[in-house]
Amino acid sequence: MAKSIDKRPTNTELAVNTLPTVLLQAAFFLVPLVMTVVLSFQFTEYFRLVWSWDFATWTDIFSRWYYWGILLHTLSLAAGTVALCLLIGFPVAYAIATRLKAIDNHVKVLIIFAFLTDTVLKVYGWALFLGKTGPLNWFLEFVGFGPEASNLLFTPWATLLGMVYNLLPFTIFTIYLSLIDIKRNLLHAAYDAGASKFRAFWEVTLPLCRPGIWAGSVLVFVLSLGVFLESKILGGGKSPMTAELIRHTFETRINWPSGAALTLVLMVVAVVVVLLFTRIYSLKRHLQ
Amino acid sequence: MTTTWKLEAWAVSIILYGSVIAVLTFFYIPIFALIVFSFQEGTYFSIPFDGFSLRWYSALFEHKDFGTAIGNSAAIALVVTVLSTVVGTCAALAWVRYTFRFKRAFQLFAAAPLLFPQLLLAIMLLLWFSVLGEWFDFSAGIHTVIIGQAVYIAPFATIIISVQLHAFDDTLEDAARDCGATTWQVYREITLPLLWPGISSAAIFSFLLSWGNFYITYSLSGTARTLPTFIFSGIALGTSSPIYPALATLIFVLGLILVFVAERFRRRASAR
Repeated sequence: MAKSIDKRPTNTELAVNTLPTVLLQAAFFLVPLVMTVVLSFQFTEYFRLVWSWDFATWTDIFSRWYYWGILLHTLSLAAGTVALCLLIGFPVAYAIATRLKAIDNHVKVLIIFAFLTDTVLKVYGWALFLGKTGPLNWFLEFVGFGPEASNLLFTPWATLLGMVYNLLPFTIFTIYLSLIDIKRNLLHAAYDAGASKFRAFWEVTLPLCRPGIWAGSVLVFVLSLGVFLESKILGGGKSPMTAELIRHTFETRINWPSGAALTLVLMVVAVVVVLLFTRIYSLKRHLQ
Repeated sequence: MTTTWKLEAWAVSIILYGSVIAVLTFFYIPIFALIVFSFQEGTYFSIPFDGFSLRWYSALFEHKDFGTAIGNSAAIALVVTVLSTVVGTCAALAWVRYTFRFKRAFQLFAAAPLLFPQLLLAIMLLLWFSVLGEWFDFSAGIHTVIIGQAVYIAPFATIIISVQLHAFDDTLEDAARDCGATTWQVYREITLPLLWPGISSAAIFSFLLSWGNFYITYSLSGTARTLPTFIFSGIALGTSSPIYPALATLIFVLGLILVFVAERFRRRASAR
């Protein structure tokens, strides 16, 4: 049985283990992807698909500033979400990893529990909280601001708040996982060599938890590109995001080629960003 | 020198502890808002209340779509959990333990759906299902939701089990084989029991992902309703009523009980 040691599987073993994934992803991921690409080269007239095989849909999309405005809005909201999630998530992850030894499990369970509560409900909860007659305005009036002091609901700021709320756990956990991997004696070595706490943090802790920071950023960015619950419920649908535009194109305007092309644009943006992130990351690691 | 040092340490501590308290408050604001509003008397959400009442809870149970939504959610989540866990276990074995020619390609293929926003996956699938539906004469419903969710959730299960497989000691399998066990026996008696922690956490994760899934379900469910889409259709149509906060409170309490039970089990297991 020397064969099992270099772990070259027999053909049946390999087939049994890889086929389920290959079949599932080929039939319901790859084929739809190819079909979307094919569809984007067709055209619609009077809500009917015309098999034209040309670039009409693409030139139409590239010539409409309206679409690109929405994409820009989506990208800036996504970038803002990533920045805020890192800014808020890092101290929390650091505190859980280094300070809260006695109760860190309870804090983690509390965060996970909030995270796992139904997203639609939580977004709705924010809408209730921020509403004109909701708890926030009641509190502000109670404290001494005038009636209906906060007008946050149905603005892009409320959308941003909802996105940060839903995606923050991802950065907290990726950063936390990279922080607990850091060996304590590396820090002690830095202290012994005369480094201040701040310097040890800057030159040991921060570089070592960079993988977590990168992973969290990529995850949050990709996830925030496909969001439309927050902009619909909290943003009031006034400044739509790309995901909403795509749904609208498919459902209301019944324009499949345009919808397919817009889907591909957003997808390409997501993939390019992921590649760029991993590229910069491996480059930086190379230079060190 | 020492006083500034102490001051700095104080400031850092305040920032760290403060951020944890602030974030925990932040996470529970909408949940508490929902709980509070579920006990109001009137139809319109406003604080202070007109009065305290439980009538929205009974209104929720009388809602005709509520029961079917829960049933659909449970059925979909169960099937998706089984599907993704089986597919994920197989893929993880190939992912970590085997060397074969197209391994990199296989890994990329097995994880690719995770790189795409859920909504886009769902829309591509919707296009594909409308073609398939014309060919084989079916329409979108629970079965299309199950397939759509499995495409997205199976990669999660694969990765969770793979991570655990890295720590797997495969000399145990060799030992069993040397003692004359067949491939199937090795699989059943050694591989699966040792993988069980990874498989069970993948199953739990898959169930939760499926139960709370909105984007894929919303796009692919046709006229069928699950809990998240039931809630969304209720609040997005503007006919919002306090039955939804009541539902949120019920889900929250149920989750709380589950966490307690899980914690009990964990304590008892670690005490042993």
